[in-house]
Amino acid sequence: MSQYLFQQLVNGLSLGSLYALVAIGFSMIYGIVRLINFAHGDLVMIGAFSTLAMIAVGVPWPLILVFVLMIGAVAGMLIESVVFRPIRGAPQVTGFIATLAVSIVIQNSALLLLTGQQRNFVFPAFMRQRVPLGGVSASLTDMVIICLTLLLIAILFFIVYRTRLGTAMRATAENLMAARLMGVSVNRTILAAFAIGSALAAVAGVFWGGKFGQIDPLLGFVPGLKAFVACVIGGVGSLGGAMLGGYILGLAEVLFVGLLPQELSGYRDAFVFLLLIVILLVKPSGLFVRHVEDRA
Amino acid sequence: MLEVRGLDVFRGATHVLKDVSFNVARGELAALIGANGAGKSTTLLTLSGLLRPRSGLAVMRTEGGEIDLTRASAERIVRAGLIHCPEGRQIFQSLTVAENLAMGAYTRSRREEIAAATAEVHELFPILKERASLPAGSLSGGEQMMLAIGRALLASPKLLLLDEPSLGLAPKVVETIFDVIARLKAQGVTILLIEQNAVMALEIADRAYVMENGRIVLAGAGRELMDNDRVRQSYLGVPL
Repeated sequence: MSQYLFQQLVNGLSLGSLYALVAIGFSMIYGIVRLINFAHGDLVMIGAFSTLAMIAVGVPWPLILVFVLMIGAVAGMLIESVVFRPIRGAPQVTGFIATLAVSIVIQNSALLLLTGQQRNFVFPAFMRQRVPLGGVSASLTDMVIICLTLLLIAILFFIVYRTRLGTAMRATAENLMAARLMGVSVNRTILAAFAIGSALAAVAGVFWGGKFGQIDPLLGFVPGLKAFVACVIGGVGSLGGAMLGGYILGLAEVLFVGLLPQELSGYRDAFVFLLLIVILLVKPSGLFVRHVEDRA
Repeated sequence: MLEVRGLDVFRGATHVLKDVSFNVARGELAALIGANGAGKSTTLLTLSGLLRPRSGLAVMRTEGGEIDLTRASAERIVRAGLIHCPEGRQIFQSLTVAENLAMGAYTRSRREEIAAATAEVHELFPILKERASLPAGSLSGGEQMMLAIGRALLASPKLLLLDEPSLGLAPKVVETIFDVIARLKAQGVTILLIEQNAVMALEIADRAYVMENGRIVLAGAGRELMDNDRVRQSYLGVPL
């Protein structure tokens, strides 16, 4: 494999990792409360700026990752209990508008607090070296993003498919009434879904900063939207689908840039949304969901 | 064990239960019969804390104490031992059979106890052991009903509410289900059974209530009601 192709592949996978992390949380939250959470992307921004603050006070990197997970989880639980819990049971549109409101509040608070100025976000110098891999090489940053994402996803799948909490979450997502009749505390289960999903989004923020080198208070918009697209590709509500959707999206974007003539590569987001429209037309239930189960 | 007095329940603007009162004594099998839409399922949903009454009283008394079912959370009601096996089975289709049973034991934490209870359910319904790792949605209707009852049993019910366990099942499966209900009763589980299949319900019930349009219109021993003309005509299909 040529270095060029390999580089594109690694690039696509690391971009896809970011989308997958955000999309999984997005999908989890939708699966359990049927809420398209447009504030989800803003957790990415919160994760990125928390990291910047911790770098400034000299917290060591491994601890930063742990703290970012915790900050994301707490922020997610806060949003859930303050904003979404009081309107539970309201029509879906109400929830949808509330998520937009949360997003606007978070973005503008961040603008007031941090100003709209771009800030440099740097991983430690050793992260920028290149790792030789038998004739080709890849940046350590990308490799770390890909590997840590796989690790986090593995942990998530373990929680969801092998623990009591995960079983309760899947049961609640499928049949809320029956779950309550089993003695499941629905509020606590939903809170857990928000905590886990938001923690993953916050970590994606660390990776986002490291990969692109600059962050600003509005950076959450794009990953939030892309996560939505990834979920539609994979099938909304399915975790495996959201993950694969994220990787497909990342690879497709890199492919567009690589294959399209130079003057069109600036339109890569347009192609992403074209992909979304095609999938909505051809297979609206998503590529990895066999049938649509709409819980009315 | 269960005392219900003057229960009034609304669903939206509809007054569904009107001044409903009845009792279930410890170790007893009580049947609640009545036509579709009479308010039977609403009664059970209110007892398990999923619907709140506008007024009235519903109390369950066990060795553990007394619990006000009109105020306690659904979670606390389950922990107190009132287990509701809902209409239409409501099993978790995407979970495996084993996971469904584990969800039944959600409020219990002692592993040995759960394992023993699972073994008992497997003995009652061997098919659930055979299909343990299959998704519950792949089971037949009768097997799903067995799973729903098995799941309820894993919660170790003191008072078991069964909503239409025979609905849509083949006669042979209905027999199996009723055998199990009789067995549970013999084991001392208090049961409140809702049925449209009035004959079978009245045959095994110690006490029965007839519900019409949200009111209890008749009460008596199961056998007694079977001989009641009104019941015979309306629910047993016997012409006068």
